[in-house]
Amino acid sequence: MTNMNAGQRAAAWGRKLVLPVLLIAAWQFWASTLPTGSPAPAPLKVLQTLGDLLSTGSLLSATVQSLGRVVLGFAMASVLGIALGLMMGASQAVRENLDPIIESFRPIAPMAILPIAILWLGTGTPTALAIVAYASFFPVLINTVHGVSRVDRKLVLASRTMGISRWTILTRVVLPGALPSILLGTRLAMGVAWTAIIAAELAVGAKSGGGGSGGIGQMMFVFYAYNIDLNAIVVCMAVVGVVALLIDQLFRLVEKRLIPWKA
Amino acid sequence: MSDNTPSPKLRLSGVTKSFLAPRTGLSTLAVAEMSLDIQTGEFICIVGPSGCGKSTVLNMIAGLDVPTAGVIQKDGQAVTGPGADRGVMFQDYALMPWQTVEGNVGFGLRHGTPGQHLNKTQRNQRIAHFIDLVGLRGSEHKYPHQLSGGMRQRVALARLLANGPDILLLDEPLGALDAQTRLILQAELLRIWGETAPVTERKTAIFITHDIEEAVLLADRVVVMSTNPGRVREVVTIDLPRPRAGKARTHPRFGVLVEHIWSLIRDEAYRAIGGDESLAKPTEEATA
Amino acid sequence: MGMAMTTSAGSPVLRSYRTLWVSLRSFAVFFALWWLLHWWNGNPLQLPSPLKVFEALWGLLREGEIAEHASVSTLRMLLALSLSILVAVPLGFWMGLSRRAEEFIDPLVEMLRPISGIAWLPLALFIFGVGDTLPVFIMFYVGFFPILLNTVAGVRQTDARLLAAARTMGIGRWPLLVHVLVPSALPTVMVGIRLAFAASWAAIVAAELIGSPTGLGFAIEWYRQMLMTPKVFAFILAIGVVGYVCDLGLRSLQRRLTPWADGTGASS
Repeated sequence: MTNMNAGQRAAAWGRKLVLPVLLIAAWQFWASTLPTGSPAPAPLKVLQTLGDLLSTGSLLSATVQSLGRVVLGFAMASVLGIALGLMMGASQAVRENLDPIIESFRPIAPMAILPIAILWLGTGTPTALAIVAYASFFPVLINTVHGVSRVDRKLVLASRTMGISRWTILTRVVLPGALPSILLGTRLAMGVAWTAIIAAELAVGAKSGGGGSGGIGQMMFVFYAYNIDLNAIVVCMAVVGVVALLIDQLFRLVEKRLIPWKA
Repeated sequence: MSDNTPSPKLRLSGVTKSFLAPRTGLSTLAVAEMSLDIQTGEFICIVGPSGCGKSTVLNMIAGLDVPTAGVIQKDGQAVTGPGADRGVMFQDYALMPWQTVEGNVGFGLRHGTPGQHLNKTQRNQRIAHFIDLVGLRGSEHKYPHQLSGGMRQRVALARLLANGPDILLLDEPLGALDAQTRLILQAELLRIWGETAPVTERKTAIFITHDIEEAVLLADRVVVMSTNPGRVREVVTIDLPRPRAGKARTHPRFGVLVEHIWSLIRDEAYRAIGGDESLAKPTEEATA
Repeated sequence: MGMAMTTSAGSPVLRSYRTLWVSLRSFAVFFALWWLLHWWNGNPLQLPSPLKVFEALWGLLREGEIAEHASVSTLRMLLALSLSILVAVPLGFWMGLSRRAEEFIDPLVEMLRPISGIAWLPLALFIFGVGDTLPVFIMFYVGFFPILLNTVAGVRQTDARLLAAARTMGIGRWPLLVHVLVPSALPTVMVGIRLAFAASWAAIVAAELIGSPTGLGFAIEWYRQMLMTPKVFAFILAIGVVGYVCDLGLRSLQRRLTPWADGTGASS
């Protein structure tokens, strides 16, 4: 937009906002035609609820709790995924043997593992962590393997001719070369992890009768089944969306910093 | 420059093209006041250093781009847009990857204007004829990604001819091929163009190339362009006898013509590769 | 692939036999480890032996229960995917071709996209209640975005040269769209459909687990509550197998519709 003047820029922003604003206005209009006791969510009430939840601190603490689990689960999965991915990328034998197992688990969604996780770990944080870790693992692994396979073999050969050890090659040639793919994998994994935690907390909240698990997902369930408040649910949904965006932007920033050589 | 010769097939009058860079807002003059007359059945080659606007001129003749000033006329009518009467062959072939050879050659006939007056059988016959002409019989059902560069170029040529244009516009069609394939296809091109046929049966062709020897081999006249801005430096008439395939390169005039054209381009070519112009001065050695 | 210096064995037939052998071997090791873990764990409710799981699987297959739930889930998936395609592809073409359309619609898309389908569950439960519509809605929503984004990308990535070439053959605006733009964008759209399927199939489990009285997701949860763990495992296996088979189907469709594209790119 750099070559537009101020008027054109304003017009561009206007066009961007037209549809969302129109829809929200229509929504508010529709809500206002309903009887006053109706539980239906309305934009103004949503904003009000947002204010309430923020002032009590419950929104913030729930978000932080969910984020904490995501970060932890994601970290565990990434360490394992990158390590395994490097090994699989470096060794045909390892890759051949592990591939069938990994490819079999790929179509099994993280949520499908939930009942087993509940059986083993109960209905608290460990279960949520397990789901997040399971969900994050595959994008990291697959992209790491892909990244290693795209490292120019000539670079590796050139290093060997300079007498560089295998380990150093792995850490100094392969790892940086695979880094763009690895970072893409972690960004995707983080996105998946955030979705998974919401789902896990929601489901666990549903199964444990609304107690114990904490986090945004569980909060949403409580507002659905116990303190029924649709406006609060919408607030939570918005928070989920905003956090997802922030996470994605953060990872993109990190990517740019860590890979200055990428076009 | 016309005496009592028939009106030119293609006339460029004061054609100018400037581009506006979107970010900086600066305008670059790509082509400046180019005027040229091309007669029916002529084979014209355009050569020049990189960035002299050769492709831009071709795009304007093809109607894919519009001159900023000046006018291009074909048969006395101004050119306003692309059309099947001016067929183009691109350097990167521009074949539809999802069509087979047969589908590609017939693409214009089936979906565009060239084949409108034909029925299905006639179209198929025409397609088969041109596939045969370029020597690709047997490969009708292959996809472009299964073909070599030379084969793809022949498909592009067959497609061009099948659409029956009266002007052929070829933008460095042999540039992406290896040298040997290029030699083969140059001879093919001359044959298909109708080198051995009388002048009235030849198509008008405008051929852009970087290869000066190629230009001298193929063309009746070579338009030498200079860069910054692009304009016609000189039009060299190639007076080598036809047919040329197999014989022209050993003709005594061949080397002279090539050297002459190169001398017109040399300094600009050096500049184009970021070199020192002083290197462009030829060493003063006795030449025959 | 990878850095290993080994070259693969000769003929392709030999290679596929070898892959089969390696797969079988890996699975054998996997099941052996599983059995060991089961024996060490000692709690059949938590980790049943592989044999018990296969026994349960066999029983469920014979009784037709797996087929029953699987067909319910698969039908919902097909419906949702079709709806996503029906809405997202035309919209994607429009947005890809018209900058104005994209300017207006994209902000809304980008606002809704980060809100995962799962986050819609409570609200959707309120609107649709427990039943068929809920999983289909969630899956439609989840599948919509990959298809839309890929369609727009497919349209944008159309080689301008191909369009130029077609115009020099006298091809008019609508034929240009149908005969050049659509085939050119198709490979990317197909990739989007496969991504949409993967995402939706993952979402269906959550949706059915919480909000449906039938389907594979429901079945896992049901049998967990009954503490019939082998059946839970069996259904999880079924989810994986059906997902894999459907993806194979999509891949073969992809090959048949777009034989000229290589369609790879890991980032799932």
